[in-house]
Amino acid sequence: MLEYATYALVLLALGMYVVLDGYDLGVGMLSLFARGERRREYGELIATAWDANESWLVLAGVALWAGLPGVYATVLPGVYLPVIGLLLAVILRGMGLEFQSAAAGYRRGWALLFGAASLAVTLCQGLVLGGVLSGLRQQGGSFGGGAFDWLTPYSVLCALGLVVLYLLAGAAWLQDKTEGTARERAVRAGRPLLAGTAVAALVLASDLEDADPQRFGFGEPVRAALYWSAVAGAVIAGAVAWHGFGRRPDWRPFAGVVAAQVCGLLALVAATAPVVVPPGLTLHQASSPPGSQAFLVVVVGLCMPVVFAYNAYAWWAFRGKFTPLPEAPLGPLRVRAAGPVRARPERGGLVVLVRRALLTVLGVGLAAVSQDVFGGVATWIDPVGIALLSGTALAAWIAGDRRDHRAGVFDLDRAEADPARGGA
Amino acid sequence: MASPAALELSRWQFAVTAIFHMSFPALTVGLSVLLAVVQTVYVRTGNPLYQQIFRFWKKIFAVGFGLGVVAGTVMTFEFGLNWGVFAHAVGPVIGVTIGMEVITAFFLEAGFIGVMLYGEGRVKPRTMALASWMVAIGTLLSTTWILSANSWMQDPAGYTETAGQFHPSDWTEVLLNPAFTYRFPHMLLAVLISASWFVGGISAWYLVKQRRAALPLARRCLSIALGVLAVLMPVQLYLGDATAVFMAEHQPAKLQAFEGNWRTDNNGYNLLVVPDTDRGENDLRVTVPHLGAVIGHDLTGRAEVPGLLQTPPDQRPNMWSAFYGFRAMYVTALAMFATAFTGLVLRLRGRLFDSRRFLRWLVWMTPAGVLAITGGWITAETGRQPWVVYGKLRTTDALSHLTTAEAAASLAAFVLLYSALLAVWVRYIVRTVKAGPEAPSDTAAQPAPGTEAPVA
Repeated sequence: MLEYATYALVLLALGMYVVLDGYDLGVGMLSLFARGERRREYGELIATAWDANESWLVLAGVALWAGLPGVYATVLPGVYLPVIGLLLAVILRGMGLEFQSAAAGYRRGWALLFGAASLAVTLCQGLVLGGVLSGLRQQGGSFGGGAFDWLTPYSVLCALGLVVLYLLAGAAWLQDKTEGTARERAVRAGRPLLAGTAVAALVLASDLEDADPQRFGFGEPVRAALYWSAVAGAVIAGAVAWHGFGRRPDWRPFAGVVAAQVCGLLALVAATAPVVVPPGLTLHQASSPPGSQAFLVVVVGLCMPVVFAYNAYAWWAFRGKFTPLPEAPLGPLRVRAAGPVRARPERGGLVVLVRRALLTVLGVGLAAVSQDVFGGVATWIDPVGIALLSGTALAAWIAGDRRDHRAGVFDLDRAEADPARGGA
Repeated sequence: MASPAALELSRWQFAVTAIFHMSFPALTVGLSVLLAVVQTVYVRTGNPLYQQIFRFWKKIFAVGFGLGVVAGTVMTFEFGLNWGVFAHAVGPVIGVTIGMEVITAFFLEAGFIGVMLYGEGRVKPRTMALASWMVAIGTLLSTTWILSANSWMQDPAGYTETAGQFHPSDWTEVLLNPAFTYRFPHMLLAVLISASWFVGGISAWYLVKQRRAALPLARRCLSIALGVLAVLMPVQLYLGDATAVFMAEHQPAKLQAFEGNWRTDNNGYNLLVVPDTDRGENDLRVTVPHLGAVIGHDLTGRAEVPGLLQTPPDQRPNMWSAFYGFRAMYVTALAMFATAFTGLVLRLRGRLFDSRRFLRWLVWMTPAGVLAITGGWITAETGRQPWVVYGKLRTTDALSHLTTAEAAASLAAFVLLYSALLAVWVRYIVRTVKAGPEAPSDTAAQPAPGTEAPVA
């Protein structure tokens, strides 16, 4: 039973990922259709959330590794190339987003990179998903197939289907978060994308059944009931989204799309469980020992409410329509009341040489003490020496910092504030 | 079994991606603590200087953090991609440890980074400070878990072996494994220290260039950075030595390799070796007599440093990487210690901000911490070879079912992408530093930000 709890955890992470990163990948792809400078706004829109959204993918991966290592060790080598592609695209996307966001104005290259990488991430994800659903050859608990086993007509269809789905999520989210042109464009794209998603879902679902009919026991009443209620839920949610596009309140299409995504995932699980990786890797074979799963599920379960709470807070902090908010200008820095701090002239000569020589000897000695060189003589010598040295440093730091603060060293200098008089 | 070429390529790929990833936390963990501190001081004092400091380092932190996250995502999946057998074997133990990292640390950072970076004007400054602290705590927790997982691979504890898989028997022993108790404090100080050199070096550059609008910021940050360094550097040398002593007991081959001796007949300290692995001797050796014994706590200078021939040939790590990785860390550490000590002396003499030679030297020290961390990790990881889980699982037995072409393609792609990314990242840092911090509002009549005041 424990493995079902672990599986639930993996599915929760995966579901959160599809719902959250789905929309921001969709926004990324939609930015390709925006004109010029407007592209930058699409990046700004998701800048506050993409990091948190992507974390769910990492959680899904790690929960698989810890809880179902058999799946982790079979799937990742089995879909090696698309996962590598996915990771490279994730990096490129982060790069485009971060550098566009850090730049002063619109940078065509970074904006295009962000959009194109969003598309690449989605395509690779679809190939991974489709490749896994098409079945992976197993050999002694890990993958035993070829390098291109994942490339099937089904996986290509899956990739295209996922692009349409994420575009839909992106459009629905844009209706919620934007006003004006961006909202209008999203609204116009919404219904065609929804229709496309419905077609893709139908095609993919029917092809999946064809792929391996004896595995899907729709004769079992519980399974059938779960499957069909999930499908019904997805249809209703889709209808809500259809109705909501172009109408207020603006949050409705996105809520509908999210519900449809969740129902779709549940339907897929209802159809395939307990098989995790077709054709035959089941939860039971793939799972960790109970000690690992229990630790994982309990700790993650305890953390989850807190995680949801602060993620909800972050969501709430940036609620409502997106408005760019330039930072308030910096207030005036304090200017030093006293005159400029002048460097005292350094005396040269023998005194300095002697002092430097002595300090060098002291420094070498202290380095030796720090490395516990005298540990062979008595163990206490070096820790005491380090305590004295670090303590002196701490005291000197605090005292020096306070003195400098009082003397206005951390304030602007009049002389520095006026370049005409600054060059002394 | 996978081909030897696929194994070599996968090892290189792991090394490249891990080193690249590590260079980001090496800066962002310490920067996140600095940002949390200055934001708190800003809330308490209202002094715009601290807001200027926050906004300036935030620019570098934001990009570094984002890149660190995506490069870290690669690591999470790479264990399964290239090292499927390893992943299957250790998933029940360190998979869980890394799961803890994701749920307690990764999520915490990701959940608050948006508020911290974009919250200004939307939330109260107090909330910004809280978010900054949450991000800082997240990065520190992350360091903790990752070191626990890696230390378990260095010195596994608290497990049983069943059918080629490690099963946890005692979580306390797994998480607080013996190596962790030495390596965690060492790494924790390392990331704080490396960020301090970064902050101190850039601040020193502003002082050298006499960048007007940046001078208060530069002095303030230099004082913080050198204060941290003067306090932490002695402790760090001690922890490093303790870790080496620990490794001499638990992984003798690692110490033998990084000290660069084959036979146990040298009491000197090797500065330079050219090892010949096949013959089991050095073609060239530059050594300081007796120093090796002294560093090894024998003040008479006679004790011989153990050599790698004590270890059976099939259990020897590569001397090249362990030796030069260690030298990179150690030599840099001595330079860091000397610089921090000089900084302390200058502070005591009240000349910290106007000793131009020292400030110029500090600029050169900007990447010192990152360099030392890289060297240290190269020593730790290559010195553990030929094991991936020390004494239990050989690296050669850990590989996924991969073709050489797959491994070559992914390695090439990572090398290309990471080189480009590194170039863009360094250029971004340089440009951000050159552009300087935001000018305060009372200087409207003054030269535009970025122009330099005449240098005395």
